[in-house]
Amino acid sequence: MVKIYSDYKDRADFLTVYVREAHPTDEWQMKSNVKEDVCYAQPKTLEQRVAIAKDFVERQKYPLPFGIDDMNNAADLAYSAWPERLYVIDERGHIAYAGGIGPFKYDPQEVRAWLTKRFGPVTQTSPTVTPSAPTGSAQPGGPATAALPAATPATADGTR
Amino acid sequence: MVRTQFSGPTEKLLGVAIMSRFWKWTLGSVVGLLVIAFAGLSFMAGSPKDVYGLVRYALPHMHRGKLHVGEDAPDVKLLALDGSSRFHLRERTGSRPLVVIFGSYT
Repeated sequence: MVKIYSDYKDRADFLTVYVREAHPTDEWQMKSNVKEDVCYAQPKTLEQRVAIAKDFVERQKYPLPFGIDDMNNAADLAYSAWPERLYVIDERGHIAYAGGIGPFKYDPQEVRAWLTKRFGPVTQTSPTVTPSAPTGSAQPGGPATAALPAATPATADGTR
Repeated sequence: MVRTQFSGPTEKLLGVAIMSRFWKWTLGSVVGLLVIAFAGLSFMAGSPKDVYGLVRYALPHMHRGKLHVGEDAPDVKLLALDGSSRFHLRERTGSRPLVVIFGSYT
């Protein structure tokens, strides 16, 4: 997603929304979370949620605009967002693309395809913001261990 | 006089034995299939603990997603990263398409 953001940020807006944790230590923690030192309990307060979001942005040097879901999980509920999901909202405020539920149906390439169809392919390579330490990896059979895009390893073609 | 099947004591015992064997095989097959399914899921998910996680946390969400293309995007109030200011998601829409990425750190 970071590469897609770099390619299309001049033509589309982006917003990352941090929702409740997918693999907190007190719920369904995965081995990869421990290995990569991404261990957090499920936040019980908004302050805790903000603290984790800040950790994520700082550790991953995450460049996309950011918002945090409230403790009533309003965004999660409205968009069926957990554990991860992608949408495109058009200028009229309508859903233009609704991605599937992650990690299996979380597909940034579908967003790229939508943007390419709308704006055409990117011909000039924009400077890519590379995360300092990609930590997550989607595991077969389980949700991605790091759902947000900067924490997801780049694919071979570097488009993720 | 017509004799019905399993009407005598011997036949009744035979019938009970057949039914008993049937239920044993049925139960055994079900248990076997469950064990195979659990082993398969454990392998796919990583460990037996992950199977529990999958069933407890992921399965209830598998079929969520009532928003469809063309529908109004719901507005929600979000907190900015500074931890104090708030904004509406729909404030970010209007002039250009908005790509929204939902996720968490873990």
